[in-house]
Amino acid sequence: MDMVAMNIIESAMIAICREMGVNVQKTAYSTVFSEAEDFTCALANTEGELIAVADFCPAQIGGVPLLVRSMVKEISLSEIDEGDVIVHNDPYRGGLHTPEHTMFKPYFVGGELMGFAVAIGHFVEVGGMVPGGFPGEATEIFHEGLRVPPVKIKKRGEDVVEVWKLMLANVRTPRQNYGDIRAMISAVDLGEARMKELIGRYGRETFRRTVTDLMDYSEARMRAEIRAFPDGCYRFEDALEDDGIEDKEYTIRCAVHVQGDEVVIDYTGSSPQALGPINATLGVAWSASYNAMLHLTDQTIPKNSGCFRPIRVIAPAGSVMNVDYPGSEVGGNTETHPVIVATILGAMAPAAPDRVMASEGTTHGCLVFGGYDARNDEPFGALDISYVGYGGRSFADGNDATDSINGNCANTPVEVFETRFPWIVEEYGLCPDSGGAGAHRGGLGTSKTMLCTGELMISQMTNKHKKTAWGLNGGADGLPGATLYQGEGANRWTTVGEAFGKVSTTKYSNVPIRPGERVSVKVPGGGGYGEPRERDPRAVVEDVLEGYVSAEAAARDYGYDPSWIARYAKDAPLPEAAE
Amino acid sequence: MSDLVGIDVGGTFTDFVRYDPETQAVDVWKTLSTPADPIDGIVDGLDRSGDVSGIGNIRFGTTIATNAILERKGATVAYLTTTGFRDVPFIQRGKRKSHYDITWVKAKPLVKRRHCYEVDERILARGEVYHPLDTERVRAIAREIKALGRVEAVAINFLFSFVTPDHERTARQIFTEECPDIPVSISYEVLPKWKEFERSSTTITDAYIKPVVGHHLGAMQARLDEKGITRQIAVIRSNGGEMTLEGAARHPIQMTLSGPTGGVVGAKQIARSVGVDHLVTLDMGGTSTDVSTVVGGNESFTTSFEIEFGLPIQIPMIDIRTMGAGGGSLAWIDKGGMLRMGPESAGANPGPACYGLGGTQATATDANLVLGRINPANFLGGAMALDAGAASKGISEVASAIDRPVEATALAMVQIANNNMIGALRSVLTERGLDPRDFTLLAFGGAGPVHVADLMVHANIPSGIVPNHPGQFSAFGFLMTDARVDLERTAQMTSAAFDADHANRVLSDLIGESIAALEEQGYTENIEIHRSLEMRYLGQNHELDVPIAFDRFDESTMPGLWQAFHRAHHDRFNFDIPGEKIEMTSVKVTAVSVTDKLQLAEIGEAEGEPEPAATRRVLFEEGWAETPVHDRAQLREGHRFEGPALIEEPASVTVIRPGQPVRIDRYGNILIGEIARRA
Repeated sequence: MDMVAMNIIESAMIAICREMGVNVQKTAYSTVFSEAEDFTCALANTEGELIAVADFCPAQIGGVPLLVRSMVKEISLSEIDEGDVIVHNDPYRGGLHTPEHTMFKPYFVGGELMGFAVAIGHFVEVGGMVPGGFPGEATEIFHEGLRVPPVKIKKRGEDVVEVWKLMLANVRTPRQNYGDIRAMISAVDLGEARMKELIGRYGRETFRRTVTDLMDYSEARMRAEIRAFPDGCYRFEDALEDDGIEDKEYTIRCAVHVQGDEVVIDYTGSSPQALGPINATLGVAWSASYNAMLHLTDQTIPKNSGCFRPIRVIAPAGSVMNVDYPGSEVGGNTETHPVIVATILGAMAPAAPDRVMASEGTTHGCLVFGGYDARNDEPFGALDISYVGYGGRSFADGNDATDSINGNCANTPVEVFETRFPWIVEEYGLCPDSGGAGAHRGGLGTSKTMLCTGELMISQMTNKHKKTAWGLNGGADGLPGATLYQGEGANRWTTVGEAFGKVSTTKYSNVPIRPGERVSVKVPGGGGYGEPRERDPRAVVEDVLEGYVSAEAAARDYGYDPSWIARYAKDAPLPEAAE
Repeated sequence: MSDLVGIDVGGTFTDFVRYDPETQAVDVWKTLSTPADPIDGIVDGLDRSGDVSGIGNIRFGTTIATNAILERKGATVAYLTTTGFRDVPFIQRGKRKSHYDITWVKAKPLVKRRHCYEVDERILARGEVYHPLDTERVRAIAREIKALGRVEAVAINFLFSFVTPDHERTARQIFTEECPDIPVSISYEVLPKWKEFERSSTTITDAYIKPVVGHHLGAMQARLDEKGITRQIAVIRSNGGEMTLEGAARHPIQMTLSGPTGGVVGAKQIARSVGVDHLVTLDMGGTSTDVSTVVGGNESFTTSFEIEFGLPIQIPMIDIRTMGAGGGSLAWIDKGGMLRMGPESAGANPGPACYGLGGTQATATDANLVLGRINPANFLGGAMALDAGAASKGISEVASAIDRPVEATALAMVQIANNNMIGALRSVLTERGLDPRDFTLLAFGGAGPVHVADLMVHANIPSGIVPNHPGQFSAFGFLMTDARVDLERTAQMTSAAFDADHANRVLSDLIGESIAALEEQGYTENIEIHRSLEMRYLGQNHELDVPIAFDRFDESTMPGLWQAFHRAHHDRFNFDIPGEKIEMTSVKVTAVSVTDKLQLAEIGEAEGEPEPAATRRVLFEEGWAETPVHDRAQLREGHRFEGPALIEEPASVTVIRPGQPVRIDRYGNILIGEIARRA
């Protein structure tokens, strides 16, 4: 193994992925790409193995191997020509969920196909029953938007106009989707050019050997990490509170078998698949399992398929962990994925207490809305993400207001949001007391209250209005979230269940919202870690002074009383400043 | 004419450059920095230069603002904002620093939540007042803050103030009336751009450092007055321009990145004098390396600086990327057996093993010593003898871990250190759509010249330059600055609905304000104005900067503008979308007052071939070579030779690979590679 060549080629490939990502981010139209970075750029070899990837959206990273393998099943390697670009979003062919589109571009060196530059990105508008791609009440894949099996969108460098026409005719925002597709193609174009240059410099054989060594290296490091966990079977379960169609819970059950340097994660015993759109595809089951394992192990291990070799995933077909055609699945990738990760971290808590956290809020609060933009004379669709509290850890509090663990999206600034969309935001803040009490407190979730100024249809895909983020080792649960609605001139807030007769307050489709009406989205706080009474009193006082925890909650959970301020505060109390 | 003095206050050394415009003589020296009170080091150093009465102009770069921010030693700040938005500085943008790091702790802003206040007021996206400012409440808050007795500065940031600043101005007026001793920063003056979190973070930072910077600059003025130095004293700002002490105290945020900009400003002048358009700079010191670019003769700017992950300061700064790779970077073996370099560094103390100051772990400097590239007897001009045995011993431990001979290990260490720097070079070149083959690498700092030749080859950069005084190049660059003001204001409109009146108003306001900002500081001569627009396709979220040459938006200028954007998009991203609607988001104006500068002196033409002072065995990637060693002081214009070669000078050594051509130009710059082949 030539460690020096490996180091150099690996960092060159990551730089290529980053460069591809910069192109996507700077040129894409959807704010989920350009502000929220809900995309991934990666490189694969012809075996479908992931050989390098840059840090963009974590949910998508584990999906690459299955995506490439599914693609070459339908378009054989011999049918792929230089200059082709293949587009694909089908969740039943290795995709993660309908909005996620993947572009592949082959890179050839000396006439030989060496692999693919891959860009995966979340399109906000994909057709289907609601604007914005998250129909909370979908029961079939067909409700969720246009399915695109692997097809060439460019052949030998030329646009395949028929494919463009079909894709753009089936979405509400063809202008934006056109821009997003062009942005992703520009990224894979760049990846192709750079890889040809890189392989040209080192020669095909050296490159191939080095990449093989690189994956072996990652595998060896992953195995060493797994070996450090005590052998055993670690079990845990959590649940989705409902599926938008029926008011009942769906269990995610995992058994993590650690034996030597291998791990088998078995989801047997999870609920049968749901009617509503919370089911995980096989791609999501893999991706979430890998995500959890990467959190549990050394984050400096180069990310490639070698990392995944010591990990086996058993996801029974027809269950909420591996949906059968043609079940609906769009929320599996956003809502179920983080619950799966939390379940594995919960299971592994006894084996790796310093590498886990209590449950985070496990939702992105995905609120989608669409309507007609009179100023620009065109329809629009938008996705707004909320930021949950993270779980407390053995060594630190949970972070406040952070994107759930399977995404890493930045929020849309209020000033951008109001410039683009017909809302006036009246409040955007942290929810005090939403973090679970503990020796290390759970983080706080956010609250956003908006006054509508246009005619909109809204839908939502979220979770944890009834269930809560669990605490760990004696830590308390965080507070749940809520989505509330207020009619024009009304002074009472109601849930969408009460106001619109929906089964679920977290997953619903097409609620009409009119000027003067308000919507408020609050998302859950994280669970606490460790016994609350063991919390450093100085931290309790600081929380009270800063207003993260109310004096009443602090008294209840930590035995706080106002005399603590004089005893423990780093600076004197401020009677009114906190509110 | 009297002398110019450039001073770069660094962590270890304070560098001085004094220039006499009559004789073009340059004097360069260093003193130890005095972190407890940096002014002592400056005054000591000036004493060393002899007659201070001959000094006409001092320009200095300082880390006072940077350190106050990074060490969190600024003021207690109170923050005033629109009702409903107190938590914006705490929510931030919601991203994690990296995907899989469970240990990450989100950054705390530079303000306590208990010092954040809300007041009823609201302006909407197009500037309409939706809710008037509750002035009585502002007054009550001002009194409350005053009564606390603890708040040292106030930051005010209202939503959409970049469209309509009236509420912020009124609130500041009330604060000035109620608590005249507490400085107030308003977001409209610090950063009149959309995106409330970035604006709040930048405004809070400005307030946070205002008291400490004001105090420091005041004390400095007083000390220099005592010494009788009362002529113009200027501070280098983050945009590479200079500003007066009073200007700096009013807008301390502009000094966040003061010192390192000198190298880039100097680079711009080198580019001009050598006749190249595109330079990439590499300032490699003991613990870190700064890289930046000069494109088409101009520095590159960024507004995406972060104090730490998630806490941005969005004022325009020279785009300098810093990475933890330097001569002191430590070699280590990761858990999988891979050899890595840095970012951990041996620093200046104990330093590399070869310093003999107690360090035992191998560093990049040790590797260069073992490879024969550094002369153990000529380090810091011979002021510090290096211990080659200690270097070999340190490297042999690494060598046994990766099972290679010591020399091969030293070579691998240098290759990996170079590879880290290539990553930094890529981030300023290819990631921004720039082709390294169009660039020349300008290397300075003590270690830059040692690595320049290898980096040229592996980063695909055909030419390289090592300037004079590479060890003090930043201070040298200060003598080449202009006074410069960059202003930017959000003015959002599209090609389909373009409000030319509004755009013209913003443009002429910015031009007027930028000239006023220079004149206020006494820079009234040779003012140049540069204008540009931030534009994108309607629906995109990131802008391209499109320069414009006109002062009015009208029928004659607009069509060309849209074409210019399509072209810029194609140049940057390799595609454009003809016929698509285009959105303009903001207008930018830069005003430059050209000031007196250092003129590079000519060194005289060569007579005959250069005579190497010695030869030494050096290990290159091609193998060992008996290598001629030149004394830089003996080289003259027109000297040409081919590598392998070493060119030694007191603060550094330039390493030339076998076969690489070298030429010395009229100013004494060492030209390497393609540029050396030219006439």
